[in-house]
Amino acid sequence: MSENEEIKNIPQATTIPRKRARFSVIWIIPIIAALVGVGIAVQRFLNEGPTITITFKVAEGIEAGKTFVKYKDVNIGQVTGVSLSKDYSHVVVTAKIAKNAANLMVKDAKFWIMQPRISLSGVSGISTLLSGNYIGLGVGNSTEEQRQFNGLDTPPIITSTEPGRQFLLKADNLGSLGFGSPLYYRQLNVGQVIGYDLAKDGQSVDIKVFINAPYDKHVTKNTRFWQASGIDVALGANGLVIHTQSLASILAGGIAFETPPYTQTLEKAAENTVFTLFDNQDTATAKHELRADPYVLAFNESVRGLSVGAPVTYLGLEIGEVKQVGLHFDAKAYTLRPQVLILYYPERFFSRFSDRQIIRPVQPSTLQERHEHLQRLVDQGLRAQLRLGNIVTGQLYVAFDYFPNAPKVKVEWEKATPQLPVMPSGLAEFQMKVTNILEKIEKIPFDDIGKDAKKAIVTLDETLKDAKKLLGRIDAELVPEMKMTLENLKRAVAAAERALVNADKTLVGPDAPANQELREALQEISSAARALKVFVEYMDSHPEALIRGKKQEKP
Amino acid sequence: MTPRELMAMQSGLALCRHCELLSRLPATHGKNYCPRCGHEISFRRNNVIQRTWALIIAAAICYIPANILPVMTSITLTSAEEDTIIDGVILLYLTGSWPLALIVLIASVVIPMAKLFALAYLLITVQRRSIKSNRERAKLYRLVELIGRWSMLDVFVISFVVALVQMKPLMAAEPKSGIVFFAAVVVLTIFAAQSFDPRLIWDSADSMENRNE
Repeated sequence: MSENEEIKNIPQATTIPRKRARFSVIWIIPIIAALVGVGIAVQRFLNEGPTITITFKVAEGIEAGKTFVKYKDVNIGQVTGVSLSKDYSHVVVTAKIAKNAANLMVKDAKFWIMQPRISLSGVSGISTLLSGNYIGLGVGNSTEEQRQFNGLDTPPIITSTEPGRQFLLKADNLGSLGFGSPLYYRQLNVGQVIGYDLAKDGQSVDIKVFINAPYDKHVTKNTRFWQASGIDVALGANGLVIHTQSLASILAGGIAFETPPYTQTLEKAAENTVFTLFDNQDTATAKHELRADPYVLAFNESVRGLSVGAPVTYLGLEIGEVKQVGLHFDAKAYTLRPQVLILYYPERFFSRFSDRQIIRPVQPSTLQERHEHLQRLVDQGLRAQLRLGNIVTGQLYVAFDYFPNAPKVKVEWEKATPQLPVMPSGLAEFQMKVTNILEKIEKIPFDDIGKDAKKAIVTLDETLKDAKKLLGRIDAELVPEMKMTLENLKRAVAAAERALVNADKTLVGPDAPANQELREALQEISSAARALKVFVEYMDSHPEALIRGKKQEKP
Repeated sequence: MTPRELMAMQSGLALCRHCELLSRLPATHGKNYCPRCGHEISFRRNNVIQRTWALIIAAAICYIPANILPVMTSITLTSAEEDTIIDGVILLYLTGSWPLALIVLIASVVIPMAKLFALAYLLITVQRRSIKSNRERAKLYRLVELIGRWSMLDVFVISFVVALVQMKPLMAAEPKSGIVFFAAVVVLTIFAAQSFDPRLIWDSADSMENRNE
């Protein structure tokens, strides 16, 4: 056990391991941990987005810590608190927005609560049925930062990032339009109503519409918009006209637009151009002439059936329309006559010429020139006349036609609304004829005729009664006697029959003596006839023998 | 006086930790290798205290984000919720299952922290060459080593939940960065406990005795 001894003798070594001054590799671990920790903290701090407050009327389905703020369906923040405002009138929602979306929190950014909405024009936000409501964000164009916002009650239909253009339509009334009502271009859904408001003066409704790119390029300065809501049924001089858009627009309403083909300018309309919203397609696409000359027509007949908007035709072509139907009082003569104000569209008139090149230079451009032109036509016998447009509805229209025999008229062009000469309508003549016929019919003494007829009928009645009586008597008295007579007659006939049979036997039988005698007598008569014949022949050739006697036969 | 304990180190002998060969170490500085298996051999592992401190500090650093950052996102139809460990504990407590809440609280919050404190205490006492309650400290160390393997509870739970609850879009769970830090805390404390050499507790006691001698 030398070793043991040796161990005991070995001087005491240090019992504590030597602390080394040099840096141990192991310290990398806490350094890395610290770096990562600090890194995460810094990242968190840097990513700390702004906290915003949004004021809503109601916080439907909004929960702190659960509701997100989404833009284009991407989470950009989370609701951290929902509280009531101090006056309890609305809800203040606090939301933490991600750092990378902080730049979206600008002055005109819009917030709304996205929830499922079902309307006739469509269903939106269905996904929120499952995912819960969220706060939607519509970016603004401003660069001014803001942290407090007022939430919208309804989601905006168009976000400002969507390509397209916005226009303003002025309408008399809203009709069945609403948020999201579709806009149709050739029955294609190309846009929506994004808002409406009563005009400041309360006289019209301003409807904001958005037309998606690329369809917005079809909106030119001459584009016409009209209500495509429901079914447009018009009963006019043209008969029954029904216009409809798609079934959805019948139910939910909509707006259609079109650029009439006759318009020349194809200049695109600027954003927010104001257009008129017409009630129907006809009024919308009807040519809205640059010029419209008003004229007055004073008729001497009833204008029943003539409605405002009825066409004014020239030789059957539409050149204007009836603007107003009223009464005119002539104080001097104390007469009231229907007065019709018509609008004459010279453009339309001149556009009817098939060869435009020729007519263009002579097309009268000033009012005076047009008046001269019209005066010439009036001199040729142009007259206005009421005509029946539709025999069923009795709608009338104004027709200009030539009546060469019409008396010359000088139109007072100086007046603001010159009066054009009229011609009593064929309608009136027709009525007159009918009246005449009716009068004649009226003259027929139907009363007297009736009385006479009545008398005759009474007499006839009596006669018939007499006849009846007579017949009754015959029936009662004569018939039995006649029966007896007939029986007697029958008997008599039978007796006669028997007698005749006997007579046959006595007279006609071949052995009957009477027969013998008869034969002889007949022979006698025959010879006598022969002698007479000879005599007659002789008398024929010798008529003198009647006086001189029979001549002696010459030897 | 208790009979003097014979220590291998005092005899210039060291055991190879791999092949368990006892060999004599020269008193010179420098690295020594096992003549049989070639593994590095020394009386005490190098830089034990420094290494353990480093691991404990790293674990302490990770302990902060592990508790602040969310460990899991539970996505349901209506919402997505990010929960930290404490959130989970509160949720469990509020929903009435307080025993479960207690388990999670102890396993996930208290034990890692207790381990950190225990190891720190051991290191400090070793460095101060304290000779008091050596046995208790040795027990404490064994306890730290024992519970170390159980503190991955949260990590296991989240691994299972994330793997199993994938019923998109009805519900889903996603791990978040907090759990990485939590796992780091657990792993680092286990390493720290491993790297600590309990013999150091007795070394100081021994040296004290020697000094007294």
